Amino acid sequence: MSLSTPPKASFLASLKAFPSTIWKSIFRNPLPSNDLERSATSFTNFFLHIHPVKVHKNSLRPLYTFGLGLISFFLFVILIVTGILLMFYYVPATSQAYDRMLDLRGSVAFGTLLRNMHRWGAHGMVAIVFLHLCRVFLTGSYKKPREFNWVVGVILFLLTLFMSFTGYLLPWDQLAFWAITVGTAIAGYAPVVGKDIQFLLMGGTSVGQEALLRFYVLHVAVLPAVLTLMIAIHFWRIRKDGGLSRPEDADPVISLEAMPTVKASVLEPKKTYGLQGLVRGPLTKVGEIPDNTVFSWPNLFLAELFTFVVTLSAILVVSLLFNAPLEEPVNALHPPNPAKAPWYFLGLQEMVSYSAFWGGIGVPTIFVLLLLGAPYLDRGPGGVGKWFSRDRLLANTIFITFVVANIIFVIIGTFFRGANWAFVTPW
Amino acid sequence: MRIALAIGTFLILVIHGIVFYNQFGHPWERNQNTYFDQAKVLAKSEAEKAALAGRKPRIEQIVVSNFGETRFDRCTTCHIASDDPRFASHAEPVKTHPYSTALGDTQKNGKWERRHKFSEFGCTVCHDGQGRGLDVEYSHGKDEYWPDPLLGFTTQDHWRKEHAPKLKGKEYMQANCAQCHTEIAFAATPLVTRGRELFFANNCYGCHRIEGLSDGNIGPDLSDVGRKWKLDYLWGRIADPKFILATSIMPKFNLKDDEIKALVVFLKSRKGRNFAETEIQRFKVKLTGGAELVQATIKPVKINPAEMVKQGEKLVLDRACTACHKLGNRDGGIAPDLSFEGQLRDGEWILAHFKNPKSTMSDSIMPAFRFTDDEFKAMTAYLLTLKGQATPAAGEAIYKNLCLRCHGEKGDGQGPIAEHLDPYPRDLTKAGFMNSKSEARFVNSVRNGVNGTSMPAWGKLVTEEQAKTVLAYIQTNFTKDARRELKVRPIPEKNPVAFSTESVTRGEALFVNRCAGCHGRKGDGKGPNSLDILPKPRNLRNAFFVNSVDDKRLFESIQYGVQGTAMPPWIDYGLTNNDVGDLVNFIRSINPKPKGGQNAGAIQ
Repeated sequence: MSLSTPPKASFLASLKAFPSTIWKSIFRNPLPSNDLERSATSFTNFFLHIHPVKVHKNSLRPLYTFGLGLISFFLFVILIVTGILLMFYYVPATSQAYDRMLDLRGSVAFGTLLRNMHRWGAHGMVAIVFLHLCRVFLTGSYKKPREFNWVVGVILFLLTLFMSFTGYLLPWDQLAFWAITVGTAIAGYAPVVGKDIQFLLMGGTSVGQEALLRFYVLHVAVLPAVLTLMIAIHFWRIRKDGGLSRPEDADPVISLEAMPTVKASVLEPKKTYGLQGLVRGPLTKVGEIPDNTVFSWPNLFLAELFTFVVTLSAILVVSLLFNAPLEEPVNALHPPNPAKAPWYFLGLQEMVSYSAFWGGIGVPTIFVLLLLGAPYLDRGPGGVGKWFSRDRLLANTIFITFVVANIIFVIIGTFFRGANWAFVTPW
Repeated sequence: MRIALAIGTFLILVIHGIVFYNQFGHPWERNQNTYFDQAKVLAKSEAEKAALAGRKPRIEQIVVSNFGETRFDRCTTCHIASDDPRFASHAEPVKTHPYSTALGDTQKNGKWERRHKFSEFGCTVCHDGQGRGLDVEYSHGKDEYWPDPLLGFTTQDHWRKEHAPKLKGKEYMQANCAQCHTEIAFAATPLVTRGRELFFANNCYGCHRIEGLSDGNIGPDLSDVGRKWKLDYLWGRIADPKFILATSIMPKFNLKDDEIKALVVFLKSRKGRNFAETEIQRFKVKLTGGAELVQATIKPVKINPAEMVKQGEKLVLDRACTACHKLGNRDGGIAPDLSFEGQLRDGEWILAHFKNPKSTMSDSIMPAFRFTDDEFKAMTAYLLTLKGQATPAAGEAIYKNLCLRCHGEKGDGQGPIAEHLDPYPRDLTKAGFMNSKSEARFVNSVRNGVNGTSMPAWGKLVTEEQAKTVLAYIQTNFTKDARRELKVRPIPEKNPVAFSTESVTRGEALFVNRCAGCHGRKGDGKGPNSLDILPKPRNLRNAFFVNSVDDKRLFESIQYGVQGTAMPPWIDYGLTNNDVGDLVNFIRSINPKPKGGQNAGAIQ
């Protein structure tokens, strides 16, 4: 579509066209009305071009993905935005941090809302990323060729946990101080290097100014940068691995035998390979094969927008209804009883109460190693793209056992543990 | 999908609307507008009115850095009329802070001048609360996490309902006055002074340390208790110590509400360091133990020799002895019954025990109290008059009257006060022990007591006949095992090894090797294994006990063990009589011999 302007436009006409000129210079395409324009819209927009032009129908099934990966990403975006705004008010000093919290709650415009959104968004992200991990495992999506993207995903999950954990200390109230004291103590149970890791994290033998500064730098600089990089890799690999996983029968079988074989030597002199020659995976299919893909515009983008709106409204509603906790100022001599780690580590703390090493280090390490190694241990090709596939009964059973056990421990640790870690009933 | 999108977007809009409304329709703005409007009515000149018309609501704050950490008090954002005398009869929050001569405010030409100017003192120095907040909920400290709710004005929701009304009243603010006004009897803080007097009158100082005042070490240090705890907790712990902490061993004192209030205010004023102190003053107090303050607080009773017993009785009853001990129908449930003290101990022992309880009983938990010598003598004189009642004849009745408080209803050594005694009372149900000792020894223990333990000599109350009756009762009801013939064992009458430095050195080596696991390296009965053992290993540094047993008994206990306890027969492990002789010499060497008199061998 060429924008051929009349050779001699009057000044008035140019002025009249000025807004649309600006608009068109930003958005090169008009709202698409045919397939070519739809492709072009996806292709030429910086924010959209990370998407494929066409997307498989299976990827758009809400009940297949529940949009969990996207929700995680949007939560991350919300956290970055609110986090940067919070950084304007925060000082990572033991003498000031708590007062800054009081200011945020009391005098800063929208301070309470910002803090609530950041707090609940962070808790939400931990939960959603974990659910996303469960979805990917239970649909067998980590199998070839997505093995390494799964590994990246597990690393992202661990980074999210660590991100949330480092942020936990920053309000510098009793909840923060003792949760981090307990959390770092759990790290200290690791053999050989445990105490060193603990020392490295805290910058000393107890949680204090050094720990606050370290956690702050990790939380606002190091981890977000690493996380952003890993997310980029994660997304890029999704594209390169041919989109989201789907069951084999989602596409009709193409019999490769029927294709005529062509001697390479015949092609070689005549043809220079384009980029397509490097692309692996299903061959480009033209013509008679039924097409199971739809254009990303508007199908995919609407779905993404919808997910974003739902995520944002959920966070806003929760932030409006519940205030982020702010307990007493830190008193290092007066631990609450019981002192509890953040909820997502309470499963660990509960297990630690049975055995320091096995609960805090042994079992979690085994779980993480199993997760990382899953695609390399479970090499059977079957069951990809189907929830709870029968082909993957064993793997799913092991996974669900671990997950359910952890959830039970978290629930016990959260609701059923009172003073001196004795069993109490919450009612 | 599109409808859902529209709804979601609308929801986001609505929430933003609510948030903006909350942000810009804040109550403090309405308060300030109310103030402006009313001030305009009261304004006398047009200029004043114009100035008021030009004012817009804004956050007011006072930055105070003279008192500890810098404070930001934004209270005057709502309490904007606090320094405007025209608003004296208005309703809070737009109301004048009262003027009062008691606060040092002065009146000149009908105009009040404040002693404590808000611009210098702010608000939270006196009132507590959270200066930075702009919400009533937070700034008044109503949320349960805020450590300093408005003193005497705000109670928190989780405070106990029955106490909360008692914790209101501006007199609680005296605790904060005392942060600067540290004069010994400052007229404006009568409750702090009274509380300090009660702290001594009720012998709180015996167990609790407060820097510059007392150095008790049984209970927690209260030097900064006012900073750590809120009124509700302080009141709760004094009124009913076990309510919050079931394992507390603090006695329940017989206090009236106004006495508890004075104590709470006094304790609330203990914040570790007050604003008036300088480093050098602090150091001086550390050196003198706050002698001046203590002298001004303790009011000794002048003892009249003719009325000694009467005055002693008053002291014993008034000064909280029965918070632990039993006397008549008062019973603190922690320490022994004093009802027949005159029959059990002599005056010399009681006086020495008063002055330093550990000088007559190595492991007593009774604190040394600060009475004058005369007061101690009067109390001793009174205790000596306590003869109790005639001892009944039946074994069961004797046991219930005299033995049960320590040895327990079931004879298992777990009587009501047993946990506070060291060593614990003997478990009379252990047949192994009960049947391995002669009846004569038990009769001796009953009638002459066991030195260095809480077992007194019952000789004046219990005849030999009665002792045998109660022992028979114990045998049939608790031990439940008939007495057996005692084995005759070859035990040397006297230590065959002469006392010498070499023998002690050999004994020590042997002790560290064989005995320290339970009795501890120091021989104080606190070895690493002692935690799991009942009865506890004997404290071999309890000189009163060790000096009261002869070599023969030590030899028997070591060589043949003590049945019913964890002490094994060491003869089975290859100890010869000479080895045991060295051990006995070592044990004797760590216990100084008394130089005449029952109490002279005191271990300080």
